[in-house]
Amino acid sequence: MISWDILGAWLSAAMVVWIYSFAYRDNLFYKLAEHMFVGAAAGYSIALALDSLNRVMIKPAITTPETFWTTSWHYVVPAILGVLMFAKYSRKYYWLARYAVAVNIAVGTGLALRTVPIANITRQITATIVPLWGSDPVTVLNNWLLVLITIGALTYFLFTIFPRRAEGARPSPLYYVYRTLYYIGIYGMMVGFGALFANTIMTRVGFLISIYLIYLQPQYWATIVAAILAAIAILLPLIRKK
Amino acid sequence: MSLVIRKYIPQLIVSVIIVLSVTFYYIYINDSIAKGFSTADKALSDWAVIVTSFALIVGGVDILRFHLTKIRREGIRQAPFSTVTIALLIIMVVLATIGWYYSYADPKAGITITTQPQFRWLYSNLYAPADSAMYSILVFYIASASYRAFRVRNPPALLLLVTAVIVMLGNTTIGGLIWPGFLGLRDWIMTVPNTAAFRPITIGAGLGTIILGLRLLTWREISWMGRRD
Amino acid sequence: MSRSISLGKILESRELLYTLLLISVILPIIHPLGIPIAVSARTKAVYDYIENNLKPGCHVYFEIYYEVAARGELEPNVVALTKHLFDKGCKIVYGSLASFGVIVFELMKTTAADVFQGREYGKDYVFLGYVAGGESAAASLAKSIKGTVSVDNYGNRIENLPLMQEVDKATDFDLVIIASSGTDTFAYYVRQWYTPYNVPLLFAALSIIAPSIEPYVGAKQAVGMLVGQRAGAEYETLVGRLGLGMASMDAQSTSHMLVLVFIVIGNVVYWSQRLSSKRGGGK
Repeated sequence: MISWDILGAWLSAAMVVWIYSFAYRDNLFYKLAEHMFVGAAAGYSIALALDSLNRVMIKPAITTPETFWTTSWHYVVPAILGVLMFAKYSRKYYWLARYAVAVNIAVGTGLALRTVPIANITRQITATIVPLWGSDPVTVLNNWLLVLITIGALTYFLFTIFPRRAEGARPSPLYYVYRTLYYIGIYGMMVGFGALFANTIMTRVGFLISIYLIYLQPQYWATIVAAILAAIAILLPLIRKK
Repeated sequence: MSLVIRKYIPQLIVSVIIVLSVTFYYIYINDSIAKGFSTADKALSDWAVIVTSFALIVGGVDILRFHLTKIRREGIRQAPFSTVTIALLIIMVVLATIGWYYSYADPKAGITITTQPQFRWLYSNLYAPADSAMYSILVFYIASASYRAFRVRNPPALLLLVTAVIVMLGNTTIGGLIWPGFLGLRDWIMTVPNTAAFRPITIGAGLGTIILGLRLLTWREISWMGRRD
Repeated sequence: MSRSISLGKILESRELLYTLLLISVILPIIHPLGIPIAVSARTKAVYDYIENNLKPGCHVYFEIYYEVAARGELEPNVVALTKHLFDKGCKIVYGSLASFGVIVFELMKTTAADVFQGREYGKDYVFLGYVAGGESAAASLAKSIKGTVSVDNYGNRIENLPLMQEVDKATDFDLVIIASSGTDTFAYYVRQWYTPYNVPLLFAALSIIAPSIEPYVGAKQAVGMLVGQRAGAEYETLVGRLGLGMASMDAQSTSHMLVLVFIVIGNVVYWSQRLSSKRGGGK
């Protein structure tokens, strides 16, 4: 009798191998794994939603009704709005769902709007205001690079104010300033994207390593059997074609 | 009248909630009003939590509808995979509901919606490995792209490549064997030029958020409403 | 030149590239190379911050926001930080704004059972579980944890837990650590915990998102950042508990070298073909 733990370990190894088999070719086992994943993911998200509603609303209403109906009675409103979201399936009453979406969008935007000017803009600008002279040459160089690349990249993004020059006319000094900053911005961003590319490789390889260590290495036989099945599913159509 | 209910009242709700949200944060009149504002602010956040939960349920129902339609059109023989999807969705929801029942019927057992044993088994052995594999399959395409697509055609691309090589060697232990300075150079690249390069992106994202908020406030942004009237 | 073009033709097959990558990852795990690791200044700075600023009895809020796939990159950081905090006598409140945080926390506890040994749940650490709502939930937690969640992940009432009687809002914590695989989470805590309440933040991020959240660290909105598996391996050596981070570094090294080889060969082949076609065109 196979235990649930062993069956689960074999299922995990098979799911990983069959999904990876897509990198080689689309095949029957990949489709099976993909659809199983979609079904499980949808079921899981519904379960989590129920859990969230239970914690926030239903359990307090059942276990401490006096407190709930005194202080949190207004939760009935978003609950009704949430139920109205199902109206989106109706051709006539689809607009009822907009009320719930409106609340969600507004709360999210309001939360972001009140702190974004400080966190994303003011603090970033103040962090760019650094001393451009001093005793330590390394710090001074770093600060110059920081300021020039930040202003250069901002100039690149705000290309709408790039000064035009008339045909045949000599460019103004301002044009050269903008051009220099523009190219500093481009090169600065290339450095940023190079770092991003290197870190992307680190992350994705890290995922692969952890999956191998957690799911595949402990279940060698399951991995091999799943790989053989996937190989058969990939090669069979190719052989039939020939 | 119908346009008012269908279009203008939802937009009014958005504007009012945004104004209230900002008011609760920035305006101070006295301590008792500040306390009231704080309570109301928390209430708004909780409303969003409840509505988000319903949105997740609607998303799950959407998937169910899609696959049911596929089976209805093509039949179970032509859409066996859709059958698998629907079956697993229903199984997960039923198991979660059983866990929900037991959380009230027998609280001492410690079973809740997400800790129901069979539900947890399916999550740990089916969803989690598949999710991990979906994320990590990109590594194959990155490896393939680094050979087939990463071409140094101009000076900016050369700078990108050189930076990528330095950071890659700094990220790994073998880079330290080749030259110990790669680690320090990588840290410098991350703290100075990289920070400077991404700072305008952060500022731009902030400006974009403010602009979106103002567009929502002034009823210019209506894409969130979906179907046009 | 014709040799490089022939090599290029061989490597055109993507299946070969994928297989070489798999071998470069699996082989060093089976036969470790044992390459030593140096600790970077940034990781040391994080370690020193915790060493110098957190006293026994301090309170730390720990956000777990990474999925099972990201365990390889972030779990070494989380486990090493947890060990360091427990060794310092800190008390930790774990929470998650993501649904998968619940499972990931349990998996982390199973992997790091030795770290949690001797620590009493409810007194030394608490796990609030999944708090739905994203940024709204982060804002709500900052105002009052008891007002946001009534029970912890295991169904215990929050007010009955001894640790939760010591902390309730953002300003009660000495440090907030965010271990996340998404950029947004860091922004939530910067906006809802740091900006209004000035609570020190510490980031543990995936390597891929580190460049985009560097500005927050540069603007001193966070006291430091641990980036990816490398930082996890370094922190493991600092706290004296080697784990998944160190076990992965050899495989990281070989796979990175392979990708570098691919890039170099790809460009050599490309420029060989380009130069030979120019010469052929010139004739």
